[in-house]
Amino acid sequence: MPPVGAKRLWVYVVALAMKLLALQYEHFRNLAQVTLEPSAHATIAVGENGQGKTNLLEGLYFLATLKPLRAGKLAELVAFGAPGARVTGRFLLQGAEREIAVDILPTGRTAFVDGKRAPSLDAYFGGVSVVAFTPDDLAVVRGGPDGRRAFLDRSVFNRFPAFLDESREYARALKSRNRLLKDHAPVSHLQAWDATLARVGARLWVRRRALMDELSTRAATAFQRIGRTVAPAVFDYQPSHLKDVVFATATEAELQQALLGRLDERLPRDLERGFTSVGPHADDLDISLGEHGARQYASQGQSRALVLAWKVAEIENLQASNGFLPLLLLDDVSSELDPERNAFLMGYLADSGAQTFLTTTDRAFVERASGADSRWLKVRAGEVTAL
Amino acid sequence: MTPDAINRLVAQLAKLPGIGEKTAQRLAFYVLRSPPEYARGLAAALTEVVDKVKLCNQCFSLHDGPEGTVCSFCSDSRRDDRLVCVVEGIADELAIERTREFKGRYHVLHGVLSPLEGVGPDQLRIKELLVRLQGESPIEEIIVATNPDVEGEATALYLTRLLKPIGLKVSRLAQGIPMGGDLEFADQATLARALAARRDL
Repeated sequence: MPPVGAKRLWVYVVALAMKLLALQYEHFRNLAQVTLEPSAHATIAVGENGQGKTNLLEGLYFLATLKPLRAGKLAELVAFGAPGARVTGRFLLQGAEREIAVDILPTGRTAFVDGKRAPSLDAYFGGVSVVAFTPDDLAVVRGGPDGRRAFLDRSVFNRFPAFLDESREYARALKSRNRLLKDHAPVSHLQAWDATLARVGARLWVRRRALMDELSTRAATAFQRIGRTVAPAVFDYQPSHLKDVVFATATEAELQQALLGRLDERLPRDLERGFTSVGPHADDLDISLGEHGARQYASQGQSRALVLAWKVAEIENLQASNGFLPLLLLDDVSSELDPERNAFLMGYLADSGAQTFLTTTDRAFVERASGADSRWLKVRAGEVTAL
Repeated sequence: MTPDAINRLVAQLAKLPGIGEKTAQRLAFYVLRSPPEYARGLAAALTEVVDKVKLCNQCFSLHDGPEGTVCSFCSDSRRDDRLVCVVEGIADELAIERTREFKGRYHVLHGVLSPLEGVGPDQLRIKELLVRLQGESPIEEIIVATNPDVEGEATALYLTRLLKPIGLKVSRLAQGIPMGGDLEFADQATLARALAARRDL
């Protein structure tokens, strides 16, 4: 540990690289008109369930990622009866103040940088980064593979923003091919989608592999730090049904060829079942404790510690790659984590110096993460006031 | 109360893409205030468009000649019969024509493969393209100029698989950095494709 004085200085430098100065919500879910100036460190929203605490985080998350925090339709983000919603954030990025905003209509969203339509997503995302931690994440280890894929992909996207467009392109090609499989379309028409699927699919594989290379060791180390489990945590990602190539070392072109081959080979089976059975959408993130698969063997507490370790690794990794800490969003901090692991998390947040947004029903859960400069907010029926 | 005739005009105008109720009303009043010749000219132009403009039954471009004749792209003897450029729609055809670089013939598909919107090969003018290739066809090369999106690519691939076995040369428009564009402003996907499709100097 560095001396306290040195650390303070470092925190100050980090704060310069990315800081959220102000946040405004208009007709975002139940937040009709809310403006707030967050703390440089912890901003904590306290309120009963269903009052709009999570909406504060959801809006900020959407602003920073253009993706909803929880799966759902865009229309659900807009207040009932309003034509559209808008979230605006004033950020300090690399020493310059920028205003980024997003308009949300049921039909789509539009991103703005300093009042002008963002020319590209690269321009929009440049310098803004966020990691969210929600109660849903806690179910990831013992839940189904789709939950783990989404969990993995959020981290991939945080690290490589271009992944957003790439995964959308893939999803579109996949949906088209699946539709044709269900409709028993002629093979000649079906195969027209394979090349695109293989090209974009190989790209997604490479992105996920790059993230895993950076993250898996960090996550294993973080898991040890959280403690209480002797067996080491292993996070691993291997595409299913991949043959003839070594995933760890294959080039993107080789993976594309391999995927094209598998698509072709599995076509009879896919036709029978009506969906595409190979590709990034059919993979799983393997998590294990020592010899055992965590999905079957991890206890409730262990599986939560695994998720926590992953998030801590992600934060550290983003800091290493971006040169600054991401914004941290923690939704509904509660008794979900046992007291010891909660203490670890809150202590980690306080020590990291990151700008953090927490929601809770009871301030006792988050006291440890707060400090003299924390901003306490009370959320009630979509109204946000100082606590 | 506004007269029914105006209401009918507003309702018709409001069906146009990009025109809302308010704009439709503004347009209707503009027509009303203009000299009557304007409205008659507009009406005649509208009628003429639907009565006269048909699709060429060879390349499916727009055509306003008498029944049984082909369009000016197909009949122009200065154009190269060996080259056919396949496009998604009329707008793309016009865009390529504006370059004045292409002197071959065209074939308009009127759409792209899109299973999510229920568009398959039978909904496009693909059969008609094959008909053009039958018999003593002078066509040697097909340039597929569909858009570089998921549907455009699938359509290009579908055509390639269909046409290559006939012994035709099939090519695809190149993708890369726009002219006058700055490398530093190019998006990642475009740059990556441009790198992949680099050529020798």
